[in-house]
Amino acid sequence: MAVHSISVKELISRVRQVFPSAPETYIMNLINDALVEIGTYKVKVSHAKISTTADKMYYNLADGAQDSSNNKLEVNQVLRVYLMDSDGDYIKIPRLIDKDLLLADIASEDNLNVPD
Amino acid sequence: MASSIKYPDSQAMYFIEGDKLALITSVDSNGTTRTSSRKKFKAISETVTNGILIQYYSEPNSVTAITDNLDIDNTLELAVVDYVKKCLYMDKAGTATDAGAMQASMALSNKHERSFKQCVQRYGVRKKDKTGGSRVVKVPTLV
Repeated sequence: MAVHSISVKELISRVRQVFPSAPETYIMNLINDALVEIGTYKVKVSHAKISTTADKMYYNLADGAQDSSNNKLEVNQVLRVYLMDSDGDYIKIPRLIDKDLLLADIASEDNLNVPD
Repeated sequence: MASSIKYPDSQAMYFIEGDKLALITSVDSNGTTRTSSRKKFKAISETVTNGILIQYYSEPNSVTAITDNLDIDNTLELAVVDYVKKCLYMDKAGTATDAGAMQASMALSNKHERSFKQCVQRYGVRKKDKTGGSRVVKVPTLV
């Protein structure tokens, strides 16, 4: 049995039952606002691969950051991180809680945020 | 190309600093563990294609055409309808010249806002949760 889901067109027609003159572009902007809001509530889990660079400690997770295939990551919260081992398998690595241990070594300083 | 790190679970760690993922390892580029205890963990010392795999909560894809489907579980789609109506009623209240119409629009806007929040905050996780079945605790073999 096919799963029922609402397309943008159907959503607009539902909204136009009460707002017949609402512009389509405006409704789509509001839909995207709603998706951003809903995205903050753990609704979509994704996996992405990032290439490591020698002597680079910090890897970008900002909205515009991309994975190895140049797809946008759109990270809200990191759940787990795996690192490729010498056999090519991905092994889960622990998260460091006490990060005062080391913030930047001399080779990684150029990857820190600096004032513009 | 595989990395030279044989045991990432004990030789590598990560932490999140703002919007950056920091990766540190205790292994140098030829796979030897650093002996200095004070500067044991440093940035990874090799370039590995697809070396990091991250699992994360991400944002749903935005819609760009009216033929698109929403990139969320269908149990949450009605929340989007509520969100859109909430905003449109709010706009209507802001442009209304009649006090009664403005109050009615505000009341409907609040009603849809409550429905939206109830759907995504109170029931969002439960509605889309696909965990089921009996649980098993696996004890490691110690011999």
